[in-house]
Amino acid sequence: MGYQRKLRGLVVSTGLMGIFISGLAGVSFAQDYHQAPVLEEQVKAGKLPAVTERLPEHPFVETMVDGVGKYGGTLRTTILANGDQYNLTRTIANELLVRWDPKWSKVEPSLAEKFTASDDATTYTFTLRKGLKWSDGQPFTVDDIMFWYEDVFMNPALSPAKNPTFTVAGKPVKVRKVDEDTVEFKFDAPYGLFLQQLAYGQGHLPVIYPKHYLSQFHEKYNKDGIPALLKANPAAGDWVALFNSKISLTFQPAYWQNLDLPTMNPWVLTVPYADGERVAAKRNPYYWKVDSAGNQLPYIDNVTWAKLDDPQLMALKMTSGEFDFAFRHINNATFKSVLFDGQESGKYRFVDVKDLPANDAAILLNLNSTDPVKKKVFQNKDFRIALSRAINRQEIIDLVYVGQGAPAQVAVQPEHELFNEKEATQYTEYDPAAANAELDKLMPKKDGEGFRLDETGKRFTINFMVADVFGLSYPDVMQMVQQYAKDVGIDIQIRTTDRARLNTMWSANEQDAYIWNCVGGLSEVYTDPRCYMPFQKADIFFAVRWAEWYANPATGEEPPENIKALMAAYDKVNASVTDDDRKARMKEFLSLSADNFLNIGISRPMPKYMMVSKRLKNVVDGIPITGNLWHPAPTLSQWYFDTAK
Amino acid sequence: MLPYIARRLVFAIPTLLAVSIIAFIIIQLPPGDYLTTLMADWASQGGAVEAGTVAAMRERYGLDQPMYFQYYKWMAGILLHGDFGISFELGKPVTELIWSRLGFSLMLSLLTLCFVWAVAIPIGILSAVRQYSISDYTVTFLAFFFLAVPDFLMALGAMYVMSVWFGQSVGGLFSPEYVDAGWSFGKLLDLANHVWLPVIVIGLGSLAALVRIMRANLLDELSKPYVTTARAKGISEFELLIRYPVRLALNPLISTIGWILPAVISGEIIVSVVMSLPTTGPLLLRALLAQDMYLAGSLILLISVLTIIGTLISDILLAMTDPRIRLT
Repeated sequence: MGYQRKLRGLVVSTGLMGIFISGLAGVSFAQDYHQAPVLEEQVKAGKLPAVTERLPEHPFVETMVDGVGKYGGTLRTTILANGDQYNLTRTIANELLVRWDPKWSKVEPSLAEKFTASDDATTYTFTLRKGLKWSDGQPFTVDDIMFWYEDVFMNPALSPAKNPTFTVAGKPVKVRKVDEDTVEFKFDAPYGLFLQQLAYGQGHLPVIYPKHYLSQFHEKYNKDGIPALLKANPAAGDWVALFNSKISLTFQPAYWQNLDLPTMNPWVLTVPYADGERVAAKRNPYYWKVDSAGNQLPYIDNVTWAKLDDPQLMALKMTSGEFDFAFRHINNATFKSVLFDGQESGKYRFVDVKDLPANDAAILLNLNSTDPVKKKVFQNKDFRIALSRAINRQEIIDLVYVGQGAPAQVAVQPEHELFNEKEATQYTEYDPAAANAELDKLMPKKDGEGFRLDETGKRFTINFMVADVFGLSYPDVMQMVQQYAKDVGIDIQIRTTDRARLNTMWSANEQDAYIWNCVGGLSEVYTDPRCYMPFQKADIFFAVRWAEWYANPATGEEPPENIKALMAAYDKVNASVTDDDRKARMKEFLSLSADNFLNIGISRPMPKYMMVSKRLKNVVDGIPITGNLWHPAPTLSQWYFDTAK
Repeated sequence: MLPYIARRLVFAIPTLLAVSIIAFIIIQLPPGDYLTTLMADWASQGGAVEAGTVAAMRERYGLDQPMYFQYYKWMAGILLHGDFGISFELGKPVTELIWSRLGFSLMLSLLTLCFVWAVAIPIGILSAVRQYSISDYTVTFLAFFFLAVPDFLMALGAMYVMSVWFGQSVGGLFSPEYVDAGWSFGKLLDLANHVWLPVIVIGLGSLAALVRIMRANLLDELSKPYVTTARAKGISEFELLIRYPVRLALNPLISTIGWILPAVISGEIIVSVVMSLPTTGPLLLRALLAQDMYLAGSLILLISVLTIIGTLISDILLAMTDPRIRLT
């Protein structure tokens, strides 16, 4: 408590006053900030500046879950040997200008101490904390953000296409340095969702480019020195490749292979995510967050990842107590019983994770199919409704998902304020008779085997692409759907494939239909409505030509009026400035989307889980995680081991 | 003898060239490329895949060029500079990656070979000499059992038993504290502590097969007249056995030495993945899955080269033991 009062004093008083008061009290006021014992030693040895000099003037004061923690310890976790770079991002990165609070309810200051939005939702200003430092001790300033903007984002060689987070109506943001601590982001059109977008993982771009380090690899700053650097680096052919090998946007592998790259993260890499058998990181002595007692975070000294090739081994090592924490690859239904039984030997407990997409298995019929006959059928809402009614969802959930789920369409989760019962459950009741009656109107003729014929008199067949991904047993689900469809005279042919082939197919708009999971179960639906309307080209492709048109009317295919109305409804969400208005607009949009009934959902997902050591405290229970919300980082900086000194 | 070897060497060159072309084509056959995988991961993290970015990266990696040009570039690099290209995913020269793992692969292969021969030959002899006895039936049963059990299943089972019942840290070749440490006596001991499990798991399958081969070969020999003659001359049963029939029965085993070389790279991929061994197997699998073209291509090329060399060695050994082969 005493610390807290003094800390508040420090925040309101000027630095000079602080020194004056502490002088009187006979105790250096600077000591109100504390640091880890390992850093204490380094400061004493003269290898590191004092903690007050390392922290910004107003450090970020983290709200603790259980209370002030203890320093020390190594967090042991695990990572797949390859292709699992987002595991690192979600453990030790995800430090942004503004962030979502751990409950995902509001956007709050982070690296920026203050931020304001203009009334027309076009201009945003951010005031950085004074005295922020990169992990190598160099100051983090507006110049670093300007370096990203002018020399990376606006550089056509480094950013041939502009990241959509920083683009509105096809025009990129304009960033301006207002003064040493203030930066302004200005858009040509209203962009009310910008702060939300910036608080998601993909908003990291402005704050991961340390100018003092990266300018040596940039043509503009070091034209003469680059040939020598290229010679020393056989993997790079020109300066762009060299630059991209030092840092990678979106935390692709190159980012985690460069130990020299300064960051703003709580831990910095000491063993890269490359060819070794593990990955390791140690505390960042310049990390800019403190607890309520003025202790510099993080509490935990080191993080190590054991690189394993197989999730089975991860589960085994978890149950034998070799890890303190795991949240990816083994947190699904397959491993739950084994991990549940292993809690005693593994000395861990379960923590709820709200990883709640809009649907675990959505049937995406290609409304822009290149086959005109199929396109006409798929675009018919009555056909989609009939197919939806023909599916016995509860049976699928019981047999394939061992009861974990609930029959639902692609819709927002019940716990969220945008939830609407009708949108979530329309056409989910199993009613093959009604489906048959409806289909009899649409496609009355059948062939000898009882399958319906299309208007050209041929059997109507849907070639269904099925990839076995996410541990969601799609091949099993589709076999059941195939049978239900057969019961109402629809011929579904299952084409088992892998993700890469599916990727090339949907990019070329070649598929009839496929099954995938759908994002948008919680607040991410505001910024990522890809399952609710033809939107960005990523993962969800049920109307790619319309999505292209939406991104740029000069391309793609002009959609019908009802789809245009849906797109206009989303534009209104994006243009709204106040939270209340945005919510109202979003409800209108979701209702309109449900009326259009663009795709068929099967099962609503249930919460997932992660495992943490019983000794770990300050772990947020029920933390939300989604594709773009890169939790549990940055909450790990407040985790601590109860036994640590 | 020398002309024979020379002829074989000359034949090896076009074979290698053909193999390299086929390998390169096969790697490129699956739809998509390295960037497809990368972009799929990106999309699952809430990112939007911009066509411009993908196109620029594809150009950067040279993936936009026609296949024959990519092949030419790769081959020219290998032949002129010994440069096998760069791994897209690991950002390092392919040669560096392969070398760093080849040592453990080789060690594991040799240890497994020693283990298999040391155990299989005596058991095979015993089982042949005491044909249709209890011990023969037991060994036969076990041999068929281990032949039938898939090795990855055995790996999972063995690791479960070691971890749950004996509390040993399984997976990998080292305990966590030694992973990054330099070589020391402690690390060597730690390695010895870990390496026996994969050796046994990998070895058991081929061990079973070898026992059966040894038994069958020896049974063929035992009934031959020279054995009866030797016995009639009063030579002791044990000496007789080791001196004549066993030596002949070993011949087919020697000709399998050539298979060991390629197996160093590609052998027991699944077991290595399950047990997280730092060998080339998982590297190859991942390179194929991620379509990390030059890494996968170089590994397959290496396997081919080793297969050809291995076959050559087998041929030479055979030619040395059996003069008739030299004539054909």
